[in-house]
Amino acid sequence: MLRKDRIYEDLSLILKRARIVFYVLAGLLVLIFGYYWKVQILDHQKYWQLAEANRLRERVLPAPRGVITDRNGKLILADNTAGFKVSIIRENIKDFEASCRNTSRLLGIDETDLRARIEKFSSAAAFQPIVVKDNLTTEEVAQIQSRKLEFPELEVEVEPKRSYPFGKSAAHVLGYLQELSPEDFKSGAAGKRHWGDLAGRTGIERQYDDMLTGEDGRLLEVVDSLGRSRGEISREEPRQGKALRLSLDYDLQKKAEELLQDKEGTIVALDPRTGEVLALANFPTYDPNKFITRFTPEEWLSLVSDPAYPLENRAIRGLYPPGSIFKIVMAAAGLDAGFVDGRTAYFCGGSLEIYGNVFSCWFKPGHGMMNLTQGIKNSCNIYFYNLGRRMGIEHIASYARLMGLGKKTGIDIPGEKDGLVPDPEWKLKTSKTAWYRGETISVSIGQGPLLVTPLQIADMVACVANRGVRVIPSLVLPENGREESGKTTIPIKREIFETIIQGMWLSANDGGTGRGAKVEGFDVCGKTGSTQWISTERAEKLQQQGKEVKKTHSWFAGFAPRSGPEIVVTVLVEFGGAGSAAAILAGQIFEAYRMKYDR
Amino acid sequence: MIDRGSFREIDWVLIGLLVLNSIIGVVFIFSSSHYLPGSYALKQTIFIVVGLALLFLLLAVDYKVLMTYSLYFYLGVMVVLAGLLLFAKLIAHTKSWIRLPFFQVQPSELAKIALILLLARIFSEYKKSTLSSSVGVQAILIVLGPFVLVAVQPDLGTALTFISLLMAVLVLAGLRKKTIVLLLAVSLAVGIVGWNSALKDYQKKRLTTLFYPSQDPKGAGYHILQSKIAIGSGGLTGKGFLKGSQSQLRFLPARHTDFIFSVIGEEFGFLGVFFVMMTSFLMIARMFVSVGMARDRAGVYIIFMASMLIAFQFFVNVLMIIGLFPVTGVPLPLLSYGGSSLISNFLAVGLVINVRMRRFANV
Repeated sequence: MLRKDRIYEDLSLILKRARIVFYVLAGLLVLIFGYYWKVQILDHQKYWQLAEANRLRERVLPAPRGVITDRNGKLILADNTAGFKVSIIRENIKDFEASCRNTSRLLGIDETDLRARIEKFSSAAAFQPIVVKDNLTTEEVAQIQSRKLEFPELEVEVEPKRSYPFGKSAAHVLGYLQELSPEDFKSGAAGKRHWGDLAGRTGIERQYDDMLTGEDGRLLEVVDSLGRSRGEISREEPRQGKALRLSLDYDLQKKAEELLQDKEGTIVALDPRTGEVLALANFPTYDPNKFITRFTPEEWLSLVSDPAYPLENRAIRGLYPPGSIFKIVMAAAGLDAGFVDGRTAYFCGGSLEIYGNVFSCWFKPGHGMMNLTQGIKNSCNIYFYNLGRRMGIEHIASYARLMGLGKKTGIDIPGEKDGLVPDPEWKLKTSKTAWYRGETISVSIGQGPLLVTPLQIADMVACVANRGVRVIPSLVLPENGREESGKTTIPIKREIFETIIQGMWLSANDGGTGRGAKVEGFDVCGKTGSTQWISTERAEKLQQQGKEVKKTHSWFAGFAPRSGPEIVVTVLVEFGGAGSAAAILAGQIFEAYRMKYDR
Repeated sequence: MIDRGSFREIDWVLIGLLVLNSIIGVVFIFSSSHYLPGSYALKQTIFIVVGLALLFLLLAVDYKVLMTYSLYFYLGVMVVLAGLLLFAKLIAHTKSWIRLPFFQVQPSELAKIALILLLARIFSEYKKSTLSSSVGVQAILIVLGPFVLVAVQPDLGTALTFISLLMAVLVLAGLRKKTIVLLLAVSLAVGIVGWNSALKDYQKKRLTTLFYPSQDPKGAGYHILQSKIAIGSGGLTGKGFLKGSQSQLRFLPARHTDFIFSVIGEEFGFLGVFFVMMTSFLMIARMFVSVGMARDRAGVYIIFMASMLIAFQFFVNVLMIIGLFPVTGVPLPLLSYGGSSLISNFLAVGLVINVRMRRFANV
């Protein structure tokens, strides 16, 4: 009403426009209310759940692996200690380039290594932590924690870490752990385990991985946007994996390792009554702790490229010609198939011409007249050449297989080799040529294409010690839920074994080739062997030319005591010379056993 | 210069709404920052007191006088903005701030007031029923200066606010259909060129994630997603004061500044959203009502632009935090933490009151 007095110009047009704009805004406000209604009331459930998921984080509490002890359950061979590791969570990375640069500097690791590591797990979900460094020192942990704000992508976790208090000791039995690879997750082999978890790759750690692994716990906690914990909601404690008691007797194991020091070879000791392995030592060896703390690239390269193969478990994977040890099998075959009896004798003149070739005995002057027990005692080649010629390869092969050669013993660690028992069928298949008679003569003294593992020899000798009862070697005690090793009796008469055992007893106790293994009052029975890589003739020629002759592998396999055997020992020393060298080592194992279990 | 008659005409209702909005802001600034060092709620309270003092100081001077000096004011702000680009250190990745001993000032906020006054001065002399191209171009050029200087800081949100003032003034002056088409074509061209050359990658990403927020939940879409979760999880009545997990556990970004309305949505639900939006809109409405009380053309322009300034920020902010507008860094007027923004909004309201209270004064 006053307006007319006051307003001197006509503003109605712009006032009208202003009003329209206001109505448009009011309309917009109504639409906005509508949209907020949709989000807050209609979609409330969805966003409520998202908000809950946002603030709750499930964290895995890794379960410690089961402890592995020796047979007495007191000495711990594989344990757990607390370890700190730092992981990178890619979804928290703001700037990938800067993060790689700064993280590598903070952690003191090579940037290309870091990138390679993240790249390796690029198929994992972005919220999965990728372990970039472990075994942090407390100083390193403090440093990372104090810079949490700068590095929201880094997360430090404490977790039980596998440790092997005795380092290299029994490494091939225990095996080692390695991080699960993306392939393991793809193939489902990883089971319920998580990224960055370690799993058994070889040995007991692999064979009994499921039992040792335990069950991870779960922690539900409230976290803020930087992932810092603001309190727990629920906690499910991890359950440690089951403890395993090995059959190893650590005193014997340690003794065996001492004896092999600086040699290349293996010692296996087992209880013939049960098949329980008392000692399984290889040299050279490696430190399984290194697989937990990660190798430097140089360390890893030198380990895998070492010509002596420290990672190789020679006892179950090393393939060697059995040499004269095989004469035990020959004797059993000859007696059981009736080609010879205890009185059958052959004359040893130092060499023998068969099929137009001259085959030598290791004892040049010749042994003279030899029967079976004497042949075993003195390891006379001529006796067994004659026996082999009479028997033929088929008989030899079938008895070798009967006594456990040519196939895995079934020990409870992975990777065991089959070995090879040759026969004409095999020859035809592999080299498309017919069996050559002379080869039978070579096989008769454990040479030729015949290949065995030291464990197979131990198992075969256990069968002899048991007078025909075969056992399956095992590394854990039956209480761990291992199937009771099946004993099988082979169809060879007990007296036949007594004859062979007599020869083995003489070998060790009556000045035979195995005399180094003799232990006073312990009735050791054994057989030596030495395997040549080149023929004797060629070796002599080389010697005459003043060239170095590559030494032979040295074997011994035996058991004690003669009646009621308790221990079988097999020793193989690569390039160890004559079998008598191995016999001396075996003697010390028998001695150690006798001292400990003084009867 | 101020006479008792005019003083009696001060719009106390509007000042009441202004203070009410600001206090709501303080409450939620407290909720979203009480666990942080820096006592933001207390600082904001001080800004409110300073803002009120400056508002009353502004009332003392007739808007006609302010308009007389508007060109110098405008040029002065331009010089400061240019100097800022040349000499300022980066704070939070932008060159928007002047560092003073106890606080920082954002000169681009003052540019809003300068633009309102200068544009009002030009259009007060323009009496045709529709916009002519000469005055249109003049207005565009005036806004373009500060727009460019602020956009390259880079502070796209504030720069866009200048555009809203331009649009307001053009609409009021009377846009012809031809001009609208022309403007659409120009803005399309600017958009295409800008997308390909001027916009930074993070700005582009913000635009694309507007349409696909869940595609990149930890990158540019993170803010939108967390904000929507906060608002949506609030439901009808909210989770209660200081009990919003999204805010208290810090999932919500820029909680006490640009995303303060998400905190309100989370802790007081749709009812809180409705109440606070209505309070803000009532204030905007109260400002618009004053348009009809201006005694002259200049007054109408000033009130309209000041109202649009606050309305634009309000709408952009409430659309942005729920994912209907790109994240451009436009604060919620009067509620978001920040002294410069608060004071510039107080001054804008002050201009409205200034015009309204002098409707009976003799020219």
